[in-house]
Amino acid sequence: MPQAAPAADRFAEIESHRPYLVRYALAQLRDPALAEEAVQEALLAALEGVGGFDGRSTLRTWLTSILRFKVVDLQRRQVKERAHVQLDEGATAEGADDPWLDDFFDETGHWRTPPQAWNDPEAALDQRRFWEVFEGCLGKLPPTGGRVFFKREVMGEETEAICAAEGITPANCWVILHRARVALRACLEQNWFGEAARGR
Amino acid sequence: MDADHDLDCRHAARLLTLACERVLDEGERAALKRHLSECFMCRNFEDQLRFLREAAKRFGAG
Repeated sequence: MPQAAPAADRFAEIESHRPYLVRYALAQLRDPALAEEAVQEALLAALEGVGGFDGRSTLRTWLTSILRFKVVDLQRRQVKERAHVQLDEGATAEGADDPWLDDFFDETGHWRTPPQAWNDPEAALDQRRFWEVFEGCLGKLPPTGGRVFFKREVMGEETEAICAAEGITPANCWVILHRARVALRACLEQNWFGEAARGR
Repeated sequence: MDADHDLDCRHAARLLTLACERVLDEGERAALKRHLSECFMCRNFEDQLRFLREAAKRFGAG
C-alpha cells in the first residue's frame, strides 16, 4: 500500500535538519562525500517512512537515529577499504600513564606546549570561521575518539551508553575522552586562539 | 607539604577531564585545588575544557 505523499511543510521541516545531520555524519565518517551520501539516504528513508515517526522523540532525534544506521553501513565500507589495520585506539593505559599523552607532557610531567590564556573565547562562538575551524579540529580526531567525544559532548549522551555501544569499558572510554579533549583543545589553540593563529 | 600528594600537570590535566565525567573524591579535589592554585597553565586548561563543552553543545544545537 503506497504511502501518501508527505505534506510540503513536513518535507521542508525534515530538510531543515539537513545541516545538522551532515555535521553529525561528517564527524563520524570524516569524509564529506560519504557524509552527504549517508544524509541523503537517511532523508530519503525518513520521507518514505514518515508515517513511522510517532512524535514521541523530537524529529531531529528520530532523523539522527535513522542516520546512525546509514553511517554504520558506510563505516563498515570504510573499514573494508582501509589498506592497513588502524592503530588500536582502545586505550589500555590507565589515566595519566597513557603513553599517547607523551606528546603533550614531558618526562617531568610538565606541558610541552603550555596552554595559553584565550582572550574572550565566547566571542568566537559568533563567528562562522570559528565553526569551520572547530569542525576541522573535530575531523582531525581519530575515529573512536571523535565518535565518543561527539556523542558525549555534542549529542549529550551518557558515557555508559556510549561505552556500551562501542564495546569498551568506562575506564577506556574516559581515557579516550581525555585524549580527545587534550587534542581538540590543542588544535583550537593552534588554529584559532593561540598567538600564532591570531597574528595572521 | 607531602611531595607524594603533589600533582604534576599531566596528572592535574587528567583529573580535570575526569571531573567532566564523574565527581572527584575529596583527596582528588584537594590535590587538584593545590595544583591549580600554583599553576596558571592548568588553570587555562580548566577554563578551556569548560569552553570546549559549551562549544560542542552549541555545535549540536545547530
